[in-house]
Amino acid sequence: MYLVRLAWRNLLRNLRRTLLAGLAVGIGLAGLLFTDALFVGLQENMIRTATETFLGQGQIHRQGFRSHLEVELALSDGAELMARLDTDNRVRAAAPRTQFFAMISSPANVAATSVFGIDPDREHEVSLIHEAVEQGDASLPSGGVLIGHELAELLEVELGDRLIVTATTTGAGELTQEMVRVSGIFRFGARSLDDGVAFVPLEFSRKLLELSSSDLHEIAIQFRDLGIAGDRSHPFWRQYSGGDREVLGWRDLLPELDAMLELSQFSMFVVLLILFGVVALSVINTLFMSLHERTFEFGVLRAVGTRPRQLFLLIVLEAACLSLISIAIGSLFGLTSTALVAHTGIDYSGIDMAGVTITRLVHPVITVDQYVMFPAWVLGFALVASIYPATYAARMEPAQAMRRSL
Amino acid sequence: MTPPASSSSPAAYIGDTLIRVESASRTYVTGEVEIPALSEVSLTVSQGEFTAVAGPSGSGKSTLLNLISGLDTPTAGAIYIAGRRVSDMTGTELSDFRRDHMGFIFQSYNLIPVLSVTENVEYIMLLQGVPAAERRSRVEEALELVALAGISSRRPDQLSGGQQQRVAIARAMVSQPNLILADEPTANLDSATGSALVDMMRQINSERGVTFLFSTHDIMIMERARRLVTLRDGRIDNDEVRNE
Repeated sequence: MYLVRLAWRNLLRNLRRTLLAGLAVGIGLAGLLFTDALFVGLQENMIRTATETFLGQGQIHRQGFRSHLEVELALSDGAELMARLDTDNRVRAAAPRTQFFAMISSPANVAATSVFGIDPDREHEVSLIHEAVEQGDASLPSGGVLIGHELAELLEVELGDRLIVTATTTGAGELTQEMVRVSGIFRFGARSLDDGVAFVPLEFSRKLLELSSSDLHEIAIQFRDLGIAGDRSHPFWRQYSGGDREVLGWRDLLPELDAMLELSQFSMFVVLLILFGVVALSVINTLFMSLHERTFEFGVLRAVGTRPRQLFLLIVLEAACLSLISIAIGSLFGLTSTALVAHTGIDYSGIDMAGVTITRLVHPVITVDQYVMFPAWVLGFALVASIYPATYAARMEPAQAMRRSL
Repeated sequence: MTPPASSSSPAAYIGDTLIRVESASRTYVTGEVEIPALSEVSLTVSQGEFTAVAGPSGSGKSTLLNLISGLDTPTAGAIYIAGRRVSDMTGTELSDFRRDHMGFIFQSYNLIPVLSVTENVEYIMLLQGVPAAERRSRVEEALELVALAGISSRRPDQLSGGQQQRVAIARAMVSQPNLILADEPTANLDSATGSALVDMMRQINSERGVTFLFSTHDIMIMERARRLVTLRDGRIDNDEVRNE
């Protein structure tokens, strides 16, 4: 305990130097805390934008459907799965879908389109189709179709105009056609949706494709906790897999976004290394300056019977006290600046990254982990960095240190 | 190595050999230049002596004290303290030996600036693991001995040079050592203060039988020492025992 007291007072001996070193490390820590909070906020924003627009945080398909998109590869137990998901506390909402390629033609033009059969009420809980509809409405009456504004331009149609949907049925693979009427035009802001996707009622699509009333191609899921969706090892995936089913989270549905976020995490790691390099150098520099000023004093301490390992411990404790000061400064600055920006948000809207167009304000996210893990790392690095000056002090020859006297 | 009980006569407690220096030499090497600081010095100091090692600058006084205290290692020869060969001890053993059996008084006091008078004096006892109650009573006793009882909470920078040196004496005394090594203890003090401190150290020597070994230029210490060893060019030039 007396060594802690001595270490603390030694730091306060040159208050200006201690504060400057504390500020250098503290500002680095504050920067790291802010950057991580921004990164978490951006990540959440991108994942939510990508998954809440239409994709869902997770999806269930029959094995092989995603790669071949063959209408025969339907989930035959779709109704049971939906019932099971509806009672699962981890699931906030689930929406059943069919999916097929079709030719949609108007009197003016024709377009190859990815068509989804949806249940508008359930879809309201899972995707943002209802928010994206800018003309008409998202209720999707029988015989209605929702198309993107770019597809509407291509087909030269407006609300109420008729379109012909041509698709291939299951089984015999016969061509089938139905007339639909444009009941809504949407704008997601993402080109792939706005010019190549159409939504029709689920039952309509089943009849068109000659599917049974319980057949589904896809179930889109939104979780109560986004963490489940990003955690490949979560038991949820195992519980719903099996048989001929494939259950995937957004990481597997959007591998390019996942890769981009992994890359961002690596960038964060590099920033972390740079910061800890600064921490280590600041601590070593401060301790060595202090050591050189107190060389004679160390000689005296050794002369009066302080063991080498006690001197070692004294220096390590000084590093610990210095890092605690830095952590206090850094946490205060970090928390204040992050809280301010989290309140106002940062406008990155319109920026497209990994196929995801940011549409909402990015709010940095403060987590307990940040204020436990990063300070612990700063403390750990400071202690590791202090080994060098501490060893130097412990190995100091008392006679050499005191050459000016005895 | 327990000091004998207090006695009224110095002769009564001069006893067994405490320090034995056998043909000790110390040569410093700077680049390719060898500088002999001490050459084949042999010296014996008994328990309870009050000895001054005098000589001009560069004569080897400090080197001799460094070797005796184990702060430095002889290039040749051997040093024995209470029968133990200093060069055989490990760094930690030497630290413990100095802590338990030696006290140091330095020319520039060298108190720990961030500690109060009390904390400076009790520092060695903290290293020894002495219980708090015993530490308090021994600190009080040591401060009374050096007449500093009223200023125990002050920091070294709030004390005069004489007061700081008295704290250094109290620090050296408090661990009840057999041997106090004092390096030019009066060099930074005025003659009246220096004289009072030397009297105090003589009194401690007389009453407690603690061995004092000084390195000094100070005529006053040389005059009051019961034995005066004079060094010149790293060798003993004269070794004189005085009768009081």
